[in-house]
Amino acid sequence: MEPSDDVALDITVTNVVSVFRTRCHLNLRTIALEGVNVIYKPETGKVLMKLRKPRITASIWSSGKIICTGATSEEEAKIGARRLARCLQKLGFKVRFSDFRVVNVLAVCSMPFQIHLIQFAKNNRPIASYEPELHPAVTYRIKHLRATIQIFSTGSITITGPNVQNVASAVEQIYPLLHECQKALK
Amino acid sequence: MSSRVCQSCGCTDIDVDQARGNAVCMSCGSVLEDNIIVSEVQFVENSGGGSSAVGQFVSADGPAKAPVLGSGFHTSLGKESRAQTLQNGKRQIHNLGSQLQLNQHCLDTAFNFLKMVVSKHLTRGRKMAHVIAACLYLVCRTEGTPHMLLDLSDLLQVNVYILGKTFLLLARELCINAPAVDPCLYIPRFAHMLEFGEKTHEVSMTALRLLQRMKRDWMHTGRRPSGLCGAALLVAARMHEFRRTVKEVISVVKVCEATLRKRLTEFEDTPTSQLTIDEFMRVDLEQECDPPSYTAGQKKLKMQQLEQELAQKLDEYQGEISVYKDEIENELENSRTKLRGIYAAYAKQDLHEEFPVDTELTGSEGAEDEEVEVAAQHLTQDFVSHLVSRDTQADEETEQSESKEQLQHPEKKQVPLKSILGPLPTVASLGLSESIKECITEQEETDDKSDNGELDLEGIDEEEIEKYILNEKEVLAKTELWMVQNAEYLREQKEKEERIAKEKEMGTYKEKPRKPSKRREPIRANTAGEAIEKMLEQKKISSKINYDVLRDLNSKGSDASSPSPAEDVPVSSGRKRLTRRKKQPNKSNLGLAKPASLMGKRLRPLISSSPKKKSTSTQAVPVVTPLTLCEPPLPTPLPLVESGPVSYAEPAEEEEDEEEEPEEPCVSAIQLIGGDEYGCDAEEEEAF
Repeated sequence: MEPSDDVALDITVTNVVSVFRTRCHLNLRTIALEGVNVIYKPETGKVLMKLRKPRITASIWSSGKIICTGATSEEEAKIGARRLARCLQKLGFKVRFSDFRVVNVLAVCSMPFQIHLIQFAKNNRPIASYEPELHPAVTYRIKHLRATIQIFSTGSITITGPNVQNVASAVEQIYPLLHECQKALK
Repeated sequence: MSSRVCQSCGCTDIDVDQARGNAVCMSCGSVLEDNIIVSEVQFVENSGGGSSAVGQFVSADGPAKAPVLGSGFHTSLGKESRAQTLQNGKRQIHNLGSQLQLNQHCLDTAFNFLKMVVSKHLTRGRKMAHVIAACLYLVCRTEGTPHMLLDLSDLLQVNVYILGKTFLLLARELCINAPAVDPCLYIPRFAHMLEFGEKTHEVSMTALRLLQRMKRDWMHTGRRPSGLCGAALLVAARMHEFRRTVKEVISVVKVCEATLRKRLTEFEDTPTSQLTIDEFMRVDLEQECDPPSYTAGQKKLKMQQLEQELAQKLDEYQGEISVYKDEIENELENSRTKLRGIYAAYAKQDLHEEFPVDTELTGSEGAEDEEVEVAAQHLTQDFVSHLVSRDTQADEETEQSESKEQLQHPEKKQVPLKSILGPLPTVASLGLSESIKECITEQEETDDKSDNGELDLEGIDEEEIEKYILNEKEVLAKTELWMVQNAEYLREQKEKEERIAKEKEMGTYKEKPRKPSKRREPIRANTAGEAIEKMLEQKKISSKINYDVLRDLNSKGSDASSPSPAEDVPVSSGRKRLTRRKKQPNKSNLGLAKPASLMGKRLRPLISSSPKKKSTSTQAVPVVTPLTLCEPPLPTPLPLVESGPVSYAEPAEEEEDEEEEPEEPCVSAIQLIGGDEYGCDAEEEEAF
């Protein structure tokens, strides 16, 4: 979305998670029986509803809290959430759309070079953690941005953060570090 | 040695049998004592086959530390439980560590880590077993032992990733940077398990070389080291003519078959695999390879590029073919008789239509199918041409000419069918995708941005949402289905409600079972000493302490009393787990208010100075010193001291006399303690 420094890297946002509240009690059974594309999970006490247009999945609790996952952008997340609220309204609940906020954004980015993970982990000792027995990627956490970056040896990285802006700045921050530890260009 | 007098016959000849633990009178045969407590060292066999002494080392710090009164007392309050936690942890560390065959140094380091963890309160909310396993694994990593996290999880039957999470957290909090796992560490261990006999060392060296090569070929980044080891060992075994199947290697290395095969194929792709065994041992190739996942991605790119090139070439060839077609056509026209009117019109069209038709068809179907496609086209052309020629009853000349010229024949009669058939599927196929794209874009365009507010209905497709809601019939059907599906859950809910209703009727209904909260009255005391006393009584820290004696102590001594219970309490609790014999002297210790408390301080440096010496010395020393003091002050605090402890002191003393001779350091230690401050020292020396 946003180019970082000189190189234009494609940062693709793949998942946006958001929450909102309906400020009213919801009868899950009614939703389960009258809605299309709904799965009722009585053990955990929630209903999963899937929308097609902005492709999102929503977990609905009887207290009125709803979590939406699967959107590909922040705007889409909001639209999907509103659509969902409208749907619930039609089912007969006095729904109010309040406290909408985006909780998590997942993005994927690919570097044009490969990365030497062991060297990278050594250079960034406490912040970066590399356990090949557990996970093939290096986990790098940026505290002040509250972002986590997973770096693979092929050069592709996944970034999770609280919003798209943070994700972009995280990429900008980590690019020079990755550039240092890149493998010999072929 | 001074022995007891037999009670029945008055004889002094008493035989003490250490093995049986009996003291028997030789004349009348009456058993004076049974189950004598011995102070011998006992050995127990480990799971690893070695033997270790039974007993515990009392550490220098911990419960034996002198607590500071007043503000510092809070730490010693929590220390009781802290000491228990650490002791418990130490025991578990030794258990696990011995199963992993870790040496004492590693276990001690692990215990140090545990102490750090506990002091940072990281054990809260975590299972002790996980924390201990993580500490052990930390030690394994820092020491470089060939233990995998998988081994630990096998022992504990816990998911590897849960252990890994705890381990990562501890490493981060303790700021311990564990070096990265080197697969070379595991080779000797796995080689040994694969039983190569005498050649184990050679096979290991070969496997190590292979691993080095793999590292340089970038096969090891992001991979489990055990998988690489397995592959290297398998190849090394084969090189040295050992037949080790994949299954055997897998059972040792703990990866799955697919992983091992994948590693082998990746290694196969490297140029090193082309060398012979001798060459490999001698020569090292200079070049490095890319990581396999990277090469896989590159392959895909290459495939796409190839396809593009082929498509371009196809176009070229098509161009050439069409050129030939043109020429032949022209010649045919000149030579052939003119056709009837219907097909003449088509003939003009086809020349223009063929080109896009062919290229579309061939382009969309790919390079490999192109030749087949062209052949099929021509075959159909020939077939159709025959049919058409029969229908139209063309001249035999034309038929013959057609049959002779096989390929590159734009037959006008065939072409009309082709032109009719050809574009149809392509247009349809293209058109569909385009229309789908249009639909999607339309949907996206209808999504608008909205402002804050209750619920902005702009841009929400009402109709679509209506679709999300079922109509009545559907609702009924779904209700039935849902009831059937979730019958069990509904039944449970009913039962629960009935149960709650019953309880409500009976009046015993509780919202949720709550733990009875412990409410203690606040302690009211005048002095700090009193307050401490009361707290100790209330809390009942240790069940081994005779609180009555404590209270009497307090009444007797003013200053010394307050530290003494405090000191003795941790001392006694610390020694709780030692042998029974030690407890007796402890009790007698309590009976000696001042000297005991002051003794306590001196005892501790003794104990700390010999933490790792033979247990005999540690056992003997604390016994010796209080016992020596027992004797002289006995007459004075008679009302305090019970007769119980005193009687046991004697046989202990007897045995200790036997031990004293070989263990001279004990004596010197007594001298260290003894010194000038106690008047009883002179009497001590007399006794011995």
